[in-house]
Amino acid sequence: MDAGLIPAELLQCAVVESRQVGAYRLISFVAPQIANLAHPGQFLMIRLAGSELDPLLPRPMGIHNVESDLVTMLIDPVGKGTARLAAAGIGDRVSVLGPLGMGFRLEGDAPAVLVGGGIGISPLKLLARALAAGGREVRCLLGFRTRKEAVATELFSGVRIDVITEDGSIGRLGLVSDPLPGCLAREPGKPAPEIFACGPSPMLAAIARIARECGNLAQVSVESHMACGIGSCQGCVIRGAGGYLRVCSDGPVFDVEDISWQ
Amino acid sequence: MLAADKALEEDLFVSFPFAAYIPKTVTLKPRAGNPPPRLQETAAGLLNSIGLANHGIEAFIRDDLPRLEPMPVPVIASIAGERTEDYGRCAAMLDSRAEVAALELNVSCPNVELDGRALGLDPEKTRQATVLARQATSKFLIVKLTPNVTDIVEIAAAAVDGGADCVSLINTVHGMALDRFSLKPVLGHVTGGLSGPAIKPVALRAVFLVSRELDVPVIGMGGVTTAQDALEFMAAGATAVAVGTASFRDPLVAAAMASELGRLIKEHGIGSAGELIGVAH
Repeated sequence: MDAGLIPAELLQCAVVESRQVGAYRLISFVAPQIANLAHPGQFLMIRLAGSELDPLLPRPMGIHNVESDLVTMLIDPVGKGTARLAAAGIGDRVSVLGPLGMGFRLEGDAPAVLVGGGIGISPLKLLARALAAGGREVRCLLGFRTRKEAVATELFSGVRIDVITEDGSIGRLGLVSDPLPGCLAREPGKPAPEIFACGPSPMLAAIARIARECGNLAQVSVESHMACGIGSCQGCVIRGAGGYLRVCSDGPVFDVEDISWQ
Repeated sequence: MLAADKALEEDLFVSFPFAAYIPKTVTLKPRAGNPPPRLQETAAGLLNSIGLANHGIEAFIRDDLPRLEPMPVPVIASIAGERTEDYGRCAAMLDSRAEVAALELNVSCPNVELDGRALGLDPEKTRQATVLARQATSKFLIVKLTPNVTDIVEIAAAAVDGGADCVSLINTVHGMALDRFSLKPVLGHVTGGLSGPAIKPVALRAVFLVSRELDVPVIGMGGVTTAQDALEFMAAGATAVAVGTASFRDPLVAAAMASELGRLIKEHGIGSAGELIGVAH
């Protein structure tokens, strides 16, 4: 499906769930228009509704999950915009535009290896569900700084998970990319595993290198500051193999070889 | 301004909340734009260093104009030159296009190097660019000015002297941001242009001064976010008001602003929008 051509909705929605998940905040709101259209890897432009001018613009955030009419977002309160959203209580209203962007392509039957770093785990929940529903074998490598962020692995119940932390406070010590090569061998009678990744740029660069060395397909979801979110302002571009790419409308999910990793 | 993007196209064509639409500026040759990062939000503001990324005027005429034809409002084409002559050449290429109601000469992009300076910093170059465009077209000519000058009235007067029917102000204000950890410039272009509510007082002053001195209509912009802002820009002398950054915050904000503006004008006991223009003078 051409996710970029799905009509987006601009809505104001009341928060119906707001809870702490370790270092992150999880909020949910009722938005059947978005829940029905959302494709794994797509994002919303989201801000706390109101006339406050600082923060000024909505923030692009990957859709964490949808359940019937409910849309769920996972927030890492690292800056002004995300902190304001994370402070949203039940009944507060959020302004949302979406679903936006080109999500993960789900075609094929290769075993799927999902790799998430930090808040980059967020869109992998909806992705894992969609892949499993399509009969794909799914395993997740979820990497965090410490056990405080790793609490979010509880959101991935029912999926095969390996936890990696940079301080070794829970799971395997190291970087989430460390165990990846060991997950990529082709099993007899099956296609080579396909990588789906979301996380900080250095992590994605490491995954690009590993995918190239091991000869596996990989799709990565990239982050960038955005203003319009719909392909117009050219503000969110990254360097691609053949020129600049708009993260909001050409992505946020790209084939790993379409991006320039220099 | 608003994006005629696929995702929102249908809604906007049905209920387009503006009186005119100005697509992003095009140049004679395609431009890739500046290296990323190109955006940084600041306190009530947005810094950008896009660098006039566009696919060139030929592709604009071939691919974009047919798509814009069904717009329910006039389309104002915006052009910028890497040299003065470009304005005449671009204006000539658009002169015969019925889809284009008017031309905006963007002489004020802060993110494009022209001998290291935007052309709109120099009154004589501004006048020359306007003269060349004026010779090439009979269309309504708007010159968009930069606030990054000592005397914006002098530049505006040069544009009018060159044949401008209207001036549009302000473009973004020079600015920069440092990364809080590395203490290095955030933007790939190092410096950029600031827009949003943070620059409203700068814009209001420019609109006030230019409209007081010159006898052409002024399009006011720069931080217009609410109907109250639009009211103040018109009171300062703007005949029309443009909304840019606030549309990123809320793509449908201008529709709400337009209806609210009518109510505010009545509340102030002013008979019509026309009577509001310049009451601050």
